[in-house]
Amino acid sequence: MNERRHAAEPGDPTPSDARWAELACRVLDESADDLDAATLSRLHRARLAAIETSRTRRAAVWAWPALFAAAASLALAVLIWPAAQAPLDSTPDSVLAAGDLELLATDADLALYEDLEFYAWLDTQQSADG
Amino acid sequence: MPLATAVWTETDRMPSAPVQVAERARSLDRFLRGIERRALRIAELSTHHREDALELVQDAMLAFARSYADKPEDEWPPLFHRVLDSRILDFHRRSQVRRRWRVWFGRRADENEEDPLEQVADPGDPGPMLRMADGQTRAALEAALRALPLRQRQTFLLRIWEGLDVAQTAAAMGCSEGSVKTHLSRALAALRPRLEDLR
Repeated sequence: MNERRHAAEPGDPTPSDARWAELACRVLDESADDLDAATLSRLHRARLAAIETSRTRRAAVWAWPALFAAAASLALAVLIWPAAQAPLDSTPDSVLAAGDLELLATDADLALYEDLEFYAWLDTQQSADG
Repeated sequence: MPLATAVWTETDRMPSAPVQVAERARSLDRFLRGIERRALRIAELSTHHREDALELVQDAMLAFARSYADKPEDEWPPLFHRVLDSRILDFHRRSQVRRRWRVWFGRRADENEEDPLEQVADPGDPGPMLRMADGQTRAALEAALRALPLRQRQTFLLRIWEGLDVAQTAAAMGCSEGSVKTHLSRALAALRPRLEDLR
């Protein structure tokens, strides 16, 4: 009988039943001890597979915080990088914007700028003729 | 505070993750090694076939390791038997469905299927004393256990052989403690006339 036998509870074998119940447990223990080598080998492999499953799962559980930290760091870097770059890029944009505003403010020169390519072509033609 | 108490020694430190994983694996190995043979016999008494029993135990071990290995170790026995018991129940349900289909299509039962007549008590049975004299005590016991209904047999094996208490047996079988007591009482009443003369 198993060593983890508990104290008698309601419904347990009576003292007269206890004798044959203990004998039944002993016979069952013997039957469990007498398993053949092939069966024991199968049980051994099953146990190893179960332990490996547990080990892999636990290792994965331990890896989750590290993966989470790495993912959080990456996300933070992605969010911070454009913000850090923004002041450097704003200077040329603001210069360009100021130049555009000056151009738009002078209506007289606007037509000249729009036809700039034509005047450049005209200049090359005149140079060729001259 | 004395410096000696403020300094962390090597033994004071929490075990690292790989060490904890390895220790848990060793505990699991000890537990499964201690229970696997009895689990196989319990499954075999229900399935009547060792190959089926091996598959059930293997499946139960994997499921237990996957779902319950993180639980406290003192909770492992009823949890493992809960997993195994549910697999045994599933096996019986599938067997019943297969039998119904065979009956529906009028097929003959397979040759290796258990003969229902074997479940009926033999009126010419010489009784336990003579069987014992023939050195068949184990066979007599197994026949008596197999003749029990599934839930009564499971209750007897878990409560009497495995040594689980009523609450643990109820947890393992997914039923109330009252049902455990009822099943055990009926199992003992059924086994008594067949086994009380065992020596």
